[in-house]
Amino acid sequence: MTKIISALCVLLVLGCEPFVTEFSDSSDAIMYEANHKTSASYNGGVFTVVTWNIRFGIARFPFFGDSCGDGVVLDDDAIEKNMAAIADSLNRMNADIVLLQEVDVSSKRTGYLNQVQYLLDNTNLNYACYASMWKADFIPSDGIGRIDAGNAILSKYELTDAERIQLRLRTDQDGLTQYFYLRRNLVKAKIPALSQGEKNLFAVNIHATAFATDDTKQKHIDTYLETLSEIHTSGNIFVTGGDLNSVPPGSITDFCLSDMCEDEDYHTQSAEEYHKEGSYFENFDGEPDILTPLYDSYAAAISSVDANLTVHFTHGPSSSYEINNIKYDRKLDYLFTNHQWVDGLSQTHQGAWELSDHLPVSAVFSVEGIR
Amino acid sequence: MKRIIIFAIFAGILFSETRNWESHSAHLIPEKRWEMGVFQPFRYGYSESTEYSVYPLCFFVMPNFSIKKPQNNFAGYTSAIRYKMVYPTPFLNMIAKEGKFGLISPEFQMPPMLGLSATWLMSKNINGASLTLNGGLDLGIVFGDLDIRSSLDLPLVYHRLGIYYNKWGIHTGVDIQKSMTKKISILADFDLRLLPGYNGNYSIEHKLLVVWNKSENFRIMTGYKFVMGEYPYGPDMQLLPYLPMVETWVPIIEFQWAKYKR
Repeated sequence: MTKIISALCVLLVLGCEPFVTEFSDSSDAIMYEANHKTSASYNGGVFTVVTWNIRFGIARFPFFGDSCGDGVVLDDDAIEKNMAAIADSLNRMNADIVLLQEVDVSSKRTGYLNQVQYLLDNTNLNYACYASMWKADFIPSDGIGRIDAGNAILSKYELTDAERIQLRLRTDQDGLTQYFYLRRNLVKAKIPALSQGEKNLFAVNIHATAFATDDTKQKHIDTYLETLSEIHTSGNIFVTGGDLNSVPPGSITDFCLSDMCEDEDYHTQSAEEYHKEGSYFENFDGEPDILTPLYDSYAAAISSVDANLTVHFTHGPSSSYEINNIKYDRKLDYLFTNHQWVDGLSQTHQGAWELSDHLPVSAVFSVEGIR
Repeated sequence: MKRIIIFAIFAGILFSETRNWESHSAHLIPEKRWEMGVFQPFRYGYSESTEYSVYPLCFFVMPNFSIKKPQNNFAGYTSAIRYKMVYPTPFLNMIAKEGKFGLISPEFQMPPMLGLSATWLMSKNINGASLTLNGGLDLGIVFGDLDIRSSLDLPLVYHRLGIYYNKWGIHTGVDIQKSMTKKISILADFDLRLLPGYNGNYSIEHKLLVVWNKSENFRIMTGYKFVMGEYPYGPDMQLLPYLPMVETWVPIIEFQWAKYKR
């Protein structure tokens, strides 16, 4: 009888994993290593950091959620091809640290390819930590099905103390939608090999809300600033970035018409919603200047003066090009540090336009002046 | 050969046994009796040698039908064959849609598909328990292009619909039912489904139910179902039924009714 009860308890534990995974405010990130590591040793010089929202490897596929398309599930061959191209790009950039957003590790839409492991095995990066922002056995909407997508930090050097920090959930959704919706996060890790003297070096990666119409984005940026401030005030160094889904101070804030799909209607009295979610950046007081504290406190890879130049735009929905011939029209992706970047080496890689709806930004960390 | 077939049919009729509440076994439902449950099909004893069943709730979106016929007793086992047919296309196209409850991506149009299944059933009383062994072949006939990406990767569903993507599969299982008291009995089953060559090629299902037979016309059962198997994303297991938002398992509660047609 005891054996039967024990077997039933095992069934209960193993067979009752949550349908949708929720997270505590702070939890461990999931660690990865390349199956075959490339040799990497740090000799105290500069190192390169990249941030890139890779759109889960679907390149410019007309996905229903963020363009005017109606596709949901990409075929395996196309995913392989896109991921190979992303790996090649990262190898060409020869980055030491890569901050990735929208990475799938086990999702129906991308053939269940573990993209973190794929990139480790096909680039010169050796270690990674991953934090889910959307993990569910099944999303019963639009044919999404099983999903595990999130943010990752990839590095040539070993990562330790990797932490997933939960960002506030949207408050402008009903309970059922919120239950099945994204749980955005920022992920932080220490890279001991890149320590500068007594100072530890941390990498921090964030993907802030895109579609919230309440003040969720402000809460996300506040948590981000708090995390960075903790590292800074403890005397350590960080390199950070991600897809902040926020435009730089001084940018245009309304992209509703250029992002509008052919069957949509905005900015008219008859429109169901006046602004398009994700295309309007004045949802609450202060949103246009939401990044000012970051620019004021830390060194930006692309300065606020240059941030609104066309050569530094990092985003344009696929449909903007198809409908309005616009490849990119805003900057949403950023790199910052509490030390300094090497002047003139920061780049927005607009040649990677075909590989995602976001463009990678790279910068070279300068070790000068560190005591 | 023709004689053998005719003999087999007649022998089946001669040796057929009927019993109440034995849908899983080789025993047929008695003539003119019907049984149905909330989650169980409507079953009807057309004659001593023919039992029909359908799932009435989903019949109009997923036409289905099965028939059970007695066979020659084999090695002391009462034997029967069950043939099933299901046409899932209308239902699958209904859930291939945008927005909430779109379980399949709307980019996929499901072609006409016919599922055919034949199961050999053998039942015997051993030490006061009714034992049923079963095994059979499943065929998925698809009239058009079926995109592999349209699969529903869920427990219970993935391997059942897998026959349409894989064209065929086999299944086998064992059911044990034992009366504990005059009114209480226990039913346990184990089923294996194999889809050779398919991405996610097996599933094992196990069910344990405690049954309270109030009368020969009504019973209540409760218990659990456990499913484990290989899926496109790897191995997985689940205890069912599972309530997503509450994140907890809840027991199966099934009511079943029966009556004789006058």
